[in-house]
Amino acid sequence: MRIKRGYRHIIVIAMIILFALTVLVSLLFGATRIAPRLVWNSIANRISPQWNIPERIDTIVWRVRIPRVFLGALVGLLLAISGTILQGVLRNPLADPYILGVSAGGGIGAAIAIILGGGITLLGMGLIPLLAFLFALAAVLIVYRLSHVAGRTAPETLILAGVAVSAFSSAILALLIILSGKLQSIFFWLLGSLANASWNDVFAVLPYALVGIFIAYFYSKDLNAMIFGEDLARTLGVNVEKSRRLLLVVASLMAAAAVSVSGLIGFIGLIIPHFVRIIVGPNYRLLIPLAAISGMIFMLVADIIARTILAPMEIPIGIIMALIGAPFFLYLLRRRRMGGHA
Amino acid sequence: MSLLRVEDLACGYDKKLVLKGINFSVDYGQLVGIVGPNGSGKTTLLRSIAGLINLENGSIKVKGEEVRGIEPREAAKRIAFVPQLMEPVQGFSVEEMVLLGRTPYLDRLSFEDNKDYRIAERAIEELKLEKLQDRDVTELSGGEFQRVAIARAVAQQTKVLLLDEPTAHLDIRFQMRILRLLRKLREGRGIVATFHNLNMAARYCQRLVLINKGEVVAVGRPSEVLTSGNIKETYRIKTLVRKNPRTGRIKYIALP
Repeated sequence: MRIKRGYRHIIVIAMIILFALTVLVSLLFGATRIAPRLVWNSIANRISPQWNIPERIDTIVWRVRIPRVFLGALVGLLLAISGTILQGVLRNPLADPYILGVSAGGGIGAAIAIILGGGITLLGMGLIPLLAFLFALAAVLIVYRLSHVAGRTAPETLILAGVAVSAFSSAILALLIILSGKLQSIFFWLLGSLANASWNDVFAVLPYALVGIFIAYFYSKDLNAMIFGEDLARTLGVNVEKSRRLLLVVASLMAAAAVSVSGLIGFIGLIIPHFVRIIVGPNYRLLIPLAAISGMIFMLVADIIARTILAPMEIPIGIIMALIGAPFFLYLLRRRRMGGHA
Repeated sequence: MSLLRVEDLACGYDKKLVLKGINFSVDYGQLVGIVGPNGSGKTTLLRSIAGLINLENGSIKVKGEEVRGIEPREAAKRIAFVPQLMEPVQGFSVEEMVLLGRTPYLDRLSFEDNKDYRIAERAIEELKLEKLQDRDVTELSGGEFQRVAIARAVAQQTKVLLLDEPTAHLDIRFQMRILRLLRKLREGRGIVATFHNLNMAARYCQRLVLINKGEVVAVGRPSEVLTSGNIKETYRIKTLVRKNPRTGRIKYIALP
């Protein structure tokens, strides 16, 4: 299944075409049936107005579908890149964007916002994304503090601290749910969804996606050198401690940004790095861009299923992701021999 | 001027000195073995020369130029290090792993160019790995993977090569294969490696550094360093020293 070096650009092109197709399908399908021609006209109208589009249609296309596609793609990218970075930096094949406490912290933040009243907005941002983001970062910060011993951060300590903080936060989250009685709305948030996507959300996470992928790519050489261990990376001229710290911060910010607008969508950050490594090998200079495209595609496909399979009812995308993701992950693992992190 | 000069080196962990007052030098074309009992500080010495341990004192010069405290990338162009028992990582072909040696020469956003591939190819040839070039590194035997690890360091194009226990966990045939390759590699370079097997070290190294309890016991030609007296003092065993009639090198027989 591994693609030879010279043919890898074909894979990249194929992925880009696949991505374009997914975007197209995403735009055409939704809870409301709209003729594809009308969707197209509504989009073309913004470039050169020539059709008369019913306002209702225009609203659905421009205020619901397009921001949702953008947000889905961005969240997919954020989680996929975050997972790819973390698996490399922590040298652990089970690392995902939530390993350092982002999910549990974000959950507490969202729960508090929902208890206070989900509708409140601050500076154009909903209270839920705002608190989810802040608490997610707070949790990661605690994890870093706990694992920072004698001037350095060992990956193993970091993972253990992440597990401990996550467990503790989950207990607080459960307590909040029970005390507030808002089980359903909090639970729904936890399952993850793109249903409330807005342009505000898109613009809120866009900088994290752009800066994040740039830094990840910029440091892909360091990530490559770290694959065979810290000693080798250091004698290859990599400032391991500095690169690791920066990459951990970037991965956490990306995950927190994703969580703040979409809740806890699992598996994607775990699977995508494995999937892409099987296709192009462990070189991060190919892994990073391909993980970004694959993450976007995977998220959009899951979202299409989430909103069409039981339309007009929508299934939280987290459920779809786990339903497809878990078997797919097992399939990937069985395809290759076990062992090694790549 | 020596290729590598270690002067008055001292280092340790948590303020406890593990090595002190280490002095020795390596010339072009030499394979220098560091020998000594378990826990004597062999690996620590190699790692401190590689820049992996902060020095408490002393200096490390390559071609007369201090490398302690220079830019890590610049240091990586002068000294290459092969850690002991690296884990092969699935998904890496032999060639891809060897190409990692080009890391210090690449800018952040640039890919390896034809020159880098040529250098990697030459390293692969030097270690006789041509037939394995496209194989996944997890499919190799221990001896083959060790050669890949060394080829990776060779691709780093440094004059100084450091190898930590290059023959560890290899059977006698692969040990000799590695040592013969090192004997060829030392041309135009200086190689420093730690060894457990005194007979192997005596046979293939031009010079030995015998250390014990973090200090140098003796430096020089194998026959000067591995005297019965020195061995008794450091390893606390009695040995018989004989000359191997075929190689002309000395060999040791432990006495009960």
